[in-house]
Amino acid sequence: MRDRQPALTDEELLTGLANGSDNALTELYRRYFPMVLQLITTNNGNEDDAKDIYQETLVVLYEKVRAGSFELHSQLKTYIYAVGRRLWLKQLAQKSRYMVRNIDVDATDAGQVSDDLVDHEERDRQFELMTDSLGRLGEPCRTLLEDFYIRHLSMQDITEKFGYTNADNAKTQKYKCLMRLKRLFFAEYKT
Amino acid sequence: METNEPNEIENALRAYGDRIRFRRKLVAVHKSMDMDEVRTEAGTYRVGQRSLNSGRNFWRTYGTTLAVAASVAVVTTFSSIFLYRSYQQSHKQEQQYSQLSKEIQAVKYSQRRILSDLNGRSLSLSQNPAQVSGSGFLITTDGYFVTNNHLVQGADSVYVQSSKGDVYKARIVHTDQEHDIAILQLCDDTAFRAVTAIPYGFDARPSALGERVFTLGYPREEVVYGEGYLSSRTGYRGDSIAYQVAIGVNPGNSGGPLLDEKGNVIGIISGKQIMAEGVSFAIKTDYLLQTINAISADALNGLPVKLPRKTTLARLSRKQQIEQVQEYVYQVKVFKH
Repeated sequence: MRDRQPALTDEELLTGLANGSDNALTELYRRYFPMVLQLITTNNGNEDDAKDIYQETLVVLYEKVRAGSFELHSQLKTYIYAVGRRLWLKQLAQKSRYMVRNIDVDATDAGQVSDDLVDHEERDRQFELMTDSLGRLGEPCRTLLEDFYIRHLSMQDITEKFGYTNADNAKTQKYKCLMRLKRLFFAEYKT
Repeated sequence: METNEPNEIENALRAYGDRIRFRRKLVAVHKSMDMDEVRTEAGTYRVGQRSLNSGRNFWRTYGTTLAVAASVAVVTTFSSIFLYRSYQQSHKQEQQYSQLSKEIQAVKYSQRRILSDLNGRSLSLSQNPAQVSGSGFLITTDGYFVTNNHLVQGADSVYVQSSKGDVYKARIVHTDQEHDIAILQLCDDTAFRAVTAIPYGFDARPSALGERVFTLGYPREEVVYGEGYLSSRTGYRGDSIAYQVAIGVNPGNSGGPLLDEKGNVIGIISGKQIMAEGVSFAIKTDYLLQTINAISADALNGLPVKLPRKTTLARLSRKQQIEQVQEYVYQVKVFKH
């Protein structure tokens, strides 16, 4: 299974990740998951915890890469290790445990990781807020918006699905729903 | 938010969607993992000895803050210590200065010579001891007398007693709190006779360090002689109105004269520093003269202060000087009712 093709470099992996390449994602996942698994399971975690932490780590990486604000200072392996470790520490802190034993991986850059995790926390918050706002939106707005923005249905598909007279009608409806969502979202967001 | 721009909310929606899709992908990828292989590979990572948060990262993150905090703590500690000590020093020094007036709690007279019982006064004094006592000395033949202000301050009555035991009532003519000098008058008491010429002179010029000096006073009911030398041109904590003298004095010596070798009064004994060997203080004669010049005409009541011109003790031996001077040095007894 290994070395069927020359191994992808860190840069190549990141580029693939940004472009939504499934290959890159799979390779990335497989390459560093064992490391995080070992870290978590030797520090009071189980495989499920390791899976959650690792996936959250990849979300952090993915969103930074998509925003174009990711800078690779050392090795990708180092970065993933650092983020995973931080995320796990945060979880452990909730159970009043504050120490994690390192596994044999290179030194980490605390500065970048802290900043990145701060951004991540902010994005997390927005995500939660959006989930909540969509929940309070009610139908048909919720499905309408999700169809358009998340499932990427075309205006035409939406018109048919919801039974609007024409596409313009649908657009107007979508706009109204969007404004309602906005009001809900930003009412919470600013507080 | 009044703007009708949908951009912000649309971006938020899209990001939301992105994440949901990505997370779904992750779940799918995870399902495709060969967990056995993963576990095997995981085992190849050795577990380290060091613990995490107290390691390098801790110092890297908090190192600067800790360094600043530590420096601040050190600086604060040392300045506190410094301030406290200088406060303590000054406080201690204040406690160390003692005015040499004697407070008589219990009186025990082993011997009492009553040569002349002047209206039974001396007897009554022995039965009714003063509350504060010190020394003083005559400055004119007309009965002008000098002592420390702190002795007579707030007194209801002041009496003086000579070395022979003669007691006279004194009237306070003038006081100078700043210089701690009080001028009294003994003539009001009809029993007081103008004495023969005063043997000592007054020298207001600054005296030299090392000047051999002596004093007579009443730390006891009898006159006591003390001798020493001039230690410093200034007094307690640099006080310019006094000299520092190395001389044995005790409570009761306050108000006594400080004389130089020639028999000139160069100062008035006023206090000493506790916890310090041989450190006493005397108000300079210069300030005595200033105080005398400041007496108002009313207070003088027609009797000017005519100080003796020159000392007549210069050629005498010390013992002879003492014999003469002690006739003019009196004990001062102060009553406060």
